[in-house]
Order: sequence, then C-alpha cells, then structure tokens
Amino acid sequence: MNSETILLRQVNPAWIQQKVITSQVFKPTPKDDKQLSVYDGDMISAEESWNHFTSEQGLSSSGVMGVSVTEVETLELTAKSDPQPYREHAVIDFDGLNESQITKKAKLLKAYAIQRDWLYRAEVS
Amino acid sequence: MIENFLTPRLTGRRFDDHSIPLEFLRDLSVLEEMITEVAKWKYLEDHEERQRTPRSFTNGIELKLTGIEDGSVRPVISLILAGASLFAPENQLYFESARDAIIHAIGAAERNEPFKNFLPEKALSYFDRFGRSLQDGEAIEFIDQSSSTTARLTKETRRKLVLSSSSVNELSEETFVRGVIPEIDQQKLSFHIQPAYGKRIKAPLSPQHDDVILKASNGYKDRVLVLVQGIGKFDRQERLKEFESVEHVSILDPLDVSARLDELRILRDGWLEGFGKKLDSNGLDWLSLQFEQQFPDDVQLPYLFPTEQGNISAEWSLETNEITLEINLVSHTASWHLLNLESQHEQVLQFNLDDVTDWENLVTKLRQLQENNA
Repeated sequence: MNSETILLRQVNPAWIQQKVITSQVFKPTPKDDKQLSVYDGDMISAEESWNHFTSEQGLSSSGVMGVSVTEVETLELTAKSDPQPYREHAVIDFDGLNESQITKKAKLLKAYAIQRDWLYRAEVS
Repeated sequence: MIENFLTPRLTGRRFDDHSIPLEFLRDLSVLEEMITEVAKWKYLEDHEERQRTPRSFTNGIELKLTGIEDGSVRPVISLILAGASLFAPENQLYFESARDAIIHAIGAAERNEPFKNFLPEKALSYFDRFGRSLQDGEAIEFIDQSSSTTARLTKETRRKLVLSSSSVNELSEETFVRGVIPEIDQQKLSFHIQPAYGKRIKAPLSPQHDDVILKASNGYKDRVLVLVQGIGKFDRQERLKEFESVEHVSILDPLDVSARLDELRILRDGWLEGFGKKLDSNGLDWLSLQFEQQFPDDVQLPYLFPTEQGNISAEWSLETNEITLEINLVSHTASWHLLNLESQHEQVLQFNLDDVTDWENLVTKLRQLQENNA
C-alpha cells in the first residue's frame, strides 16, 4: 500500500437512492468499531473485490467506490493493511474521533469518492 | 311533503372544517338504495302471503339531501313525499323501520353484538358501498332513537358488516398505492402497479389517465413513481387484490418520502453485512405523516437512507453544504450535521420532531440554505 493506492469500499444497495449514495458509505458504523473496512486496490480490482464481497462473503453490494490513501491522510486519518479476515483487507482508522468529527470526515471522503465516480457498478436486475 | 328523515353526524379530519367533501356524497347516495331494499324486506316480512312488494311501493317517495345543520357536520336527509293521496302512510312506516334497522345493525356491529337479525344478508352487502370513503379516524354517527345511543359507522364496523355475509369474499375501500408501472395491456385496457413491497396490483386503464400511465410505464427502468388512487378490492385478510376503479393518477417526485420509506420497510434484520436493524414500522408511518404535514413543497426533499441502528438518515446536498439529519424513529429526535465542503464549517443541532416549532426551524434552515444557492 502506498499513497496512490485506491481503497475500495463496497456500497450497500439500501445506501443508494436515485443514483445518490449516503455519506454513511464512508462512515464507520457501530459494528465497525471505528475501523472502516476497505479492499486494498493494489491487490484486487474493483470488480474482483465486488465478486469477493458478494460471492465469497455472501454480502450485498451495488458497486464499488474508492478513495486514495493520500486523500485519507489529508483528512488526518490513517489507512492500514489488515489481512486477518482475508489477504486484501484494509481499514481506514477513525479511532480517537468523536461522532461529529467522524461524520465530517466521512462526508469529505464521500466527496473525494464521488469525484472519482463508480469504480465498479453491478448490473441492475 | 318534506320530512326530516335522518341527520347523521360526520366526524373526522375531513369534516373538521364543517364541510362535506363532494366525494362523500357518493356514500350518502347509496343510502337511498339501501333503505328502499330494507323497507321492501320489512314489508314482505309483514306480508308473508306476497311474493313481491306492490309496484307502487316506492312511487312518490324520495330521499334527498336538503341541507347541512349548523355547528357539527350533519347532512339533513329528508323524506320527500310526492303527495298524500299517492302514498300510503303505511309505506312510510316501512322506510322509517328500515332506517331504524340499519342504525340498529350498525350499533350492534360496533358493540360486537349479533346484527344479522336486523338486516337481511342481501342488505348487508350495501355496506360495501355505503361508508366506502371513510378513512381512519372518521365516522358516520347515527342516533338510535329507541335507546338514545349513538351508532357509529367506521371503517372497522363497516368491515364487520360486509364480511359477515358468507357469500362476500371481498370488501371495497378507497385506497392508494405508490409504485412503478411495469406493464400496460392496451387490449384489455388495464395496467399493473408494482408497489415497493407486495404483489403487482391490476387496475383498469381509463382514457383520462392513459397519458400519465404511459409516461410512467416508459420510465419504469428509471423508477418513475406514480400514486394511484381509487376504489380497491380487498380480501378477508385485508390484502389489496386489485383496483375496481381509478380516480386519480399522478407522477410523484423522484424523492417522494412515503414511497422511499415504503422501499425501506422491506429491510430485514441483518440487512447491513449481517448487522443492520429492521426499521420500526410505526416509526416509518410517523415519519411519512410528519413529512406530509410539516414539510413544504418549495423545499427540496431529502434523500433517505437507513442506518445500522434502524433509524433514518435524511440527507441534502445544497451546493457546497452537505447536510445529514439522523432521525430516531422511536424517540422522534433528530441530530443535524451540516458541513460546508469548502470552508469546512460545521453546524451541529438537535431537533424534536414531535414539536411543530422544531419542524418550522428545520424548514427555515433548509430554505435559507436553498435560497443562498439560488
């Protein structure tokens, strides 16, 4: 992982309305314990990450958006590899931040991701 | 000769302004048919030797709406007698007896008492049309002269009366469905509407609605939403089977709040990677109603998303301002977070969405941000 690495984030189908995503996509929820799960884009493509997430893990995703490590670090967050669950797994660390700070950084990450647009979009059935 | 025959009292939201919606007159018009049918039945009960009522039984008698009493909303329904010589007073008594029988049946149904003694089974089926437009919280109240009690026809009592007949398997009621139009059958002059959850509902296609339906059908892939209002047929389990008739069709805002909340009702526990709580159905009903009543048309509707904890995140992107309002569906409180992406200025506020003043403050804030963008 380096500063140009794109961190791939899966988007839950309920978190898209009329092609717009919620800023929760980049906000760790209580289940995440302030560690937002992403795929390391140097190790897996957006489409492959989607296949892994939906087929191998059996979870729901409508597509993949991403932010760079530089963008993460600009917001004074850290990104790190976390190969425990699977090799390509990484996290964006929000530890030590309060709710308002987390919400703010999640919105800024979303703004970066939107500029980059969808990296992979599952076909709508 | 005009005689005051019946002055039911109408209660509920639609009648709060002391007026009667025109659509309600259809309900009242069924009363004449119903009273006449019951009067004939009463006559034949007293004249077992006869197969049918005299041909002149209803001649010269009419029920008409002759006024609305001041104060509470009471339509005055009068019995109009064409002339004393043409009309036997005895027949008038059967009409009055029919009126009383209908009121007794309604009162008994309301008290969960047997009511089939008061009316023939055939007459009960008239309740499928009488009171059809009644909405939740509305009632038609009649005074039972014999006991000086009030008999209230509500959606619930009407349902009991109609479905008591073994031959009746469905009930018709005014209803509405929000959804997309996946299919039109031009040959059979019908279309289907697909709500966010549940089965497709068939409806008749009438010329006055075919342009809107066609437009919605063409926009099916883009999820163009419509609201279809009309008379629906429901089964005994209160499931909508199909529309009997359609009165209004309108294309909805793509961000229509009620339609979106309906979509989110289908989420089950575990919707977010095995976590994610199902959204509280009563809370969704409450939020839908609040937006309908408190949120003005000139303010941009929010995008609505579920949260892991089973709440709603309402979100607006107004130029460089990213706003989230996390709404707790149980406590009805809401946390506002505004971030200006350029200045990175933040604003954090709390609202109580059971408080009308807080809704006004919320709307004012959004309107100001919207106007600053314009």
